[in-house]
Amino acid sequence: MTSKSTTVLVAAAWLFIGLVIPVGNAQQVSGPVKVVQLTGLVGVKDNAKGTLSVENGQLHFVHGKTSSDVSASSIQDVVTGADSQRAVGGTIGLMSMAAPYGGGRVLSLFRTKIDTLTVQYRDADGGLHGAIFTMPVGTSEVIKKELLAQGAHTTSDKEPGAASSVSSSTPNKEQK
Amino acid sequence: MMKRILNAGIRLFLLTVVFAASPLLAQKNKPAKIKAAALQVEMIESDEIKLPAEFQVALYENLIRQLEKNGFSHVYRDGDRNAASVADLVVLHSTVRGFKAGSEKARQVTTVSGATSITVHCQFSRQDGTSLLERDVNGKVRFFGGNLRATYDFAKKAANVAHENFSSPERE
Repeated sequence: MTSKSTTVLVAAAWLFIGLVIPVGNAQQVSGPVKVVQLTGLVGVKDNAKGTLSVENGQLHFVHGKTSSDVSASSIQDVVTGADSQRAVGGTIGLMSMAAPYGGGRVLSLFRTKIDTLTVQYRDADGGLHGAIFTMPVGTSEVIKKELLAQGAHTTSDKEPGAASSVSSSTPNKEQK
Repeated sequence: MMKRILNAGIRLFLLTVVFAASPLLAQKNKPAKIKAAALQVEMIESDEIKLPAEFQVALYENLIRQLEKNGFSHVYRDGDRNAASVADLVVLHSTVRGFKAGSEKARQVTTVSGATSITVHCQFSRQDGTSLLERDVNGKVRFFGGNLRATYDFAKKAANVAHENFSSPERE
């Protein structure tokens, strides 16, 4: 009887932890956010890891010793979205594909949720550029809000705060 | 007997000549490439199909990169003011006709399902709107890579279409 109630208590505790952790992950952040620049920034390689921040009316991306700035006023569209990626990626993830008995496939089931931030901006000649970033859940909305506050535009008519709840039903989210 | 062998030899020779010459003739029949001093890529449109913003941007950026890789030294972006003064400018207007989001997870787990595919109608025209070439180009990712890899596949194919049909002065 005692062991049964202990099991129930442990299960309840795990359930509580499971509910609390995503909320903690989604909380707002201040300062630079760790991101991956998938494509689009001039002079920055694809899939470059770095930090992204909004300072003095500029979207500031730092990758190693190089940095790239985009003026918020030149941004004509900011869109956030949701996606997911393999929890075990990189070389280990690639090597796991060769694991026997479908071990690699099982690892593919474990995925972490990520946010995407897509920015369209114009250069000095009026040429249109697009940049895509992936970042931890909950951080893309913060950056979008900061960009809009500093002069960026968006074609998305929804409220920035409501975007995260709406984005889960948009095609941005990967089909499970 | 000798005459028969000679006849067979002649026939074989003629047949070889015909087969060898056919690719050369086909090359001669190929339509001449259209002169394009520069290309301007307009932003991908997707009015009918709801396309995520990251796909739209990835299609556009990959397309510009692949065109530059294919030898077009002057590839102007949408809205670039410098393109207005270029003679023999070809404008590439792309519209999304089909999109299936797919799933990277499904691809990795099952191998056979979860493919991402995208079909884009590409229209090459002059600045005055005269259409030069229209083609449907698709991009797919079946096994490895994220969903956005379909945009890279599309860009490579679209750049090949441009390479086959347009001649840039720098490439000649």
